[in-house]
Amino acid sequence: MRKLTCGALAALVTMIAAWAVAPAQTPTSLVVQTGTEPPGLDLTATPASATAAVVLYNVQECLVKVDRHGKIAPWLAERWHTSDNRNYTFFLKRGVKFHNGRELKASDVKFAIERAMDPETKHPYPGYYAAIGDIIAKDDYTITFSLKEPNANFLLNMARQGSVIYPREAVDTLKSAPVGTGPFKVAEWVRGDRIVLARNPDYHVKGLPKLDRVTFRFIPDPNAALAALKAGDIDASIFGLGPEHVAELQKDARFTVTIGETTNDVVMAMNNSKKPYSDVRVRRAITHGINKPEVVKGAMFGFARVIGSNVDPLNPYFVDLAQAMPYDPAKAKQLLAEAGYPNGFDTVLKVAPQYYYTVRTGEVIASQLQKVGVKVRIEQIEWGQWLSRVWKEADYDLTIIGHAEAWDIANYANPKYYFRYDSRKFQELFKKSEVTVDDKARRELYVQMEKMQVEDAPVVFLYIHPRLVVTKKGVQGFWKDLPIPSADLSEVSWAK
Amino acid sequence: MAATLFFVSILVFVVIRVLPGDPAALIFGTQGDPQAIARLREAMGLNRPLGVQYVDWLAHALRGDFGVSIQYDVPVGSLIASRLPVTLPLTLLAAFFMVTAAVPLGVFAATHHRRAGDYLTMVISQLGVAVPAFWAGLLLILLFSVHLGWFRSGGFDGWSAGPWRGVRSLLLPAFALGFFQAAVLVRATRSAVLEVLREEYVRTARAKGVAERYVLAKHTLRNAMIPIVTVAGIQLGQLIAGAIVLESVFALPGLGRLALGAIAARDLPVVQGVTLFVAGSIVFINFTVDLLYGVLDPRIRYE
Repeated sequence: MRKLTCGALAALVTMIAAWAVAPAQTPTSLVVQTGTEPPGLDLTATPASATAAVVLYNVQECLVKVDRHGKIAPWLAERWHTSDNRNYTFFLKRGVKFHNGRELKASDVKFAIERAMDPETKHPYPGYYAAIGDIIAKDDYTITFSLKEPNANFLLNMARQGSVIYPREAVDTLKSAPVGTGPFKVAEWVRGDRIVLARNPDYHVKGLPKLDRVTFRFIPDPNAALAALKAGDIDASIFGLGPEHVAELQKDARFTVTIGETTNDVVMAMNNSKKPYSDVRVRRAITHGINKPEVVKGAMFGFARVIGSNVDPLNPYFVDLAQAMPYDPAKAKQLLAEAGYPNGFDTVLKVAPQYYYTVRTGEVIASQLQKVGVKVRIEQIEWGQWLSRVWKEADYDLTIIGHAEAWDIANYANPKYYFRYDSRKFQELFKKSEVTVDDKARRELYVQMEKMQVEDAPVVFLYIHPRLVVTKKGVQGFWKDLPIPSADLSEVSWAK
Repeated sequence: MAATLFFVSILVFVVIRVLPGDPAALIFGTQGDPQAIARLREAMGLNRPLGVQYVDWLAHALRGDFGVSIQYDVPVGSLIASRLPVTLPLTLLAAFFMVTAAVPLGVFAATHHRRAGDYLTMVISQLGVAVPAFWAGLLLILLFSVHLGWFRSGGFDGWSAGPWRGVRSLLLPAFALGFFQAAVLVRATRSAVLEVLREEYVRTARAKGVAERYVLAKHTLRNAMIPIVTVAGIQLGQLIAGAIVLESVFALPGLGRLALGAIAARDLPVVQGVTLFVAGSIVFINFTVDLLYGVLDPRIRYE
């Protein structure tokens, strides 16, 4: 009996020793937390950034790609050519296979973009394709786009989420199981819980993706997301944690916190069509009455970059105008007096608590504006109501929201947009910038528009919402900045 | 029962459509092109008069077709069916925690009336009333998932991953839900038992020398059962409502979270379907409670 016990003990010790010296396997799967579940996976039907985060560049790809530095890179098209900025010829990479095994051909590109242009598709961004006149597939790997007029954003638009290429035969499954050419295939979508992506073994870029399996878990509550991270149930959090969690996580040796830039400019809009904000002096007074660095400190725990115009720091035409209209309560009071409001006025700020940073930002601003005589009453409304009352009907005085889309200066050239900012001069500058392809000339136009935004103060440009990525130590390859709303995981891996 | 459901269906239909917020606008968010939104509205049939939309919906619903989710592109019926394996066991487990905690505590408080045990039970139950379930849930996650590592912090792998794994993901939320909902039932049990304890027949039983345990089980509790079952039935409805919050805290893909997401996205077919289902469940619970009266007190008969 004793012999038997000794034998068993020896076997156990050997097993433990063998386990201890065996080389630890590098994990090949990753669980990523995200706050919002995509409202469908069809990028040609929804502009939701939650959908783009999962699908764009992970499952479906475009002719060209916005890389992690914000540069446009060749992708499904290995190169392109234009001699007159009107006719763009793309040369497709050969041997690229869709997830269903069929090879990508020029006719697929023609089909996908023509479908995006068709009003029947109800594509969320028909404007991206308005300049396209004709699409000709010359052979299986060559395709030419003829534009009606030069369009400076044409290549960028071809890299955006609405311009993904998918096989004609998979149109019906775009919403629930999209097929593409990306590094991952959609393996499973458990509604309400997770989306699982599996490695595409036939991916056209050698050595990618580095992970075999990625699970996006939807955890809407930031505190629950924090707990899941600490309990080890998730490996990374990309769109879930708030700036309030950063300091605590930075101190924790188990995690890496990366804070990057985004194209999400948070603004306090003032209804330009309504008194008193129809008077530019009032809009300037409000801007001078807000101490933006203090707003960032109070509402974003210091983790955000102050801005002075709509053009974000990831944009190549960015000019730092953060100090252009600084905090100056005396000047604010003087401007208000000039505009006929020596004692200030009462106003209502509508915010949607679904985006809680807007509530916190509003509270800090309300207390600052009180000092210049503007009494702000904060009204919290639900997101659906916000979209309907504020965004659609412009039934508001003040509101705060982040505009996540890149290159969205067009909003200021649209007098029907909820800012109701109507400047003929600005609209002309914008129109010119859209058809000016020469980089130097276009930059000049952008600088003029940015300066006009400071002068006219159509909104108060507050700060850039930061990108917060928290991962377990050892996870590498995440994009630091977010020049486009994709959570590209193709290069993410665990350190060996 | 059918009349109640019919009334609920009209109410939900009108309320959800009167609320500001357009499903087409919500799909596009702040980036939508107004023309694209208008085209989508038309395709979704939202331009038709309200009455026409309702009759159309009702005609389909009567045939068991509750429409297709705008958000998920899946039939509402199968969406609800896919969420039931989370919410049903969660609610039943929570009800189990609620009853097993509340009834003994209530009886204990009643039998120790105006003594330390009674006061202590009342303090605990007061705490239960005061502590919101979501906060209790977060505290439980902090203790059992983050510090002790016994349970997962949230999520649900599905019953296919094994029954124990399924139960394990539901234990913490069920406890947070059931234990803190128990507070009201403790009070109801206590007052019901107290009332019966003052009855003549209890005094008679005691005078006859019947053992106290027997007096409690046979004479008191059985007679106190009707108000307890009534309150428990109402509380069961509350549990379904509470599940909405806890499913969010524990990231469980249940019916509550489905409803919450659907309301936020104005996914009308889903809101309509889930509300009708929940209303139907509550009607069913009330009906069962009514039947239980007859079992508990044979004098109650339904013609």
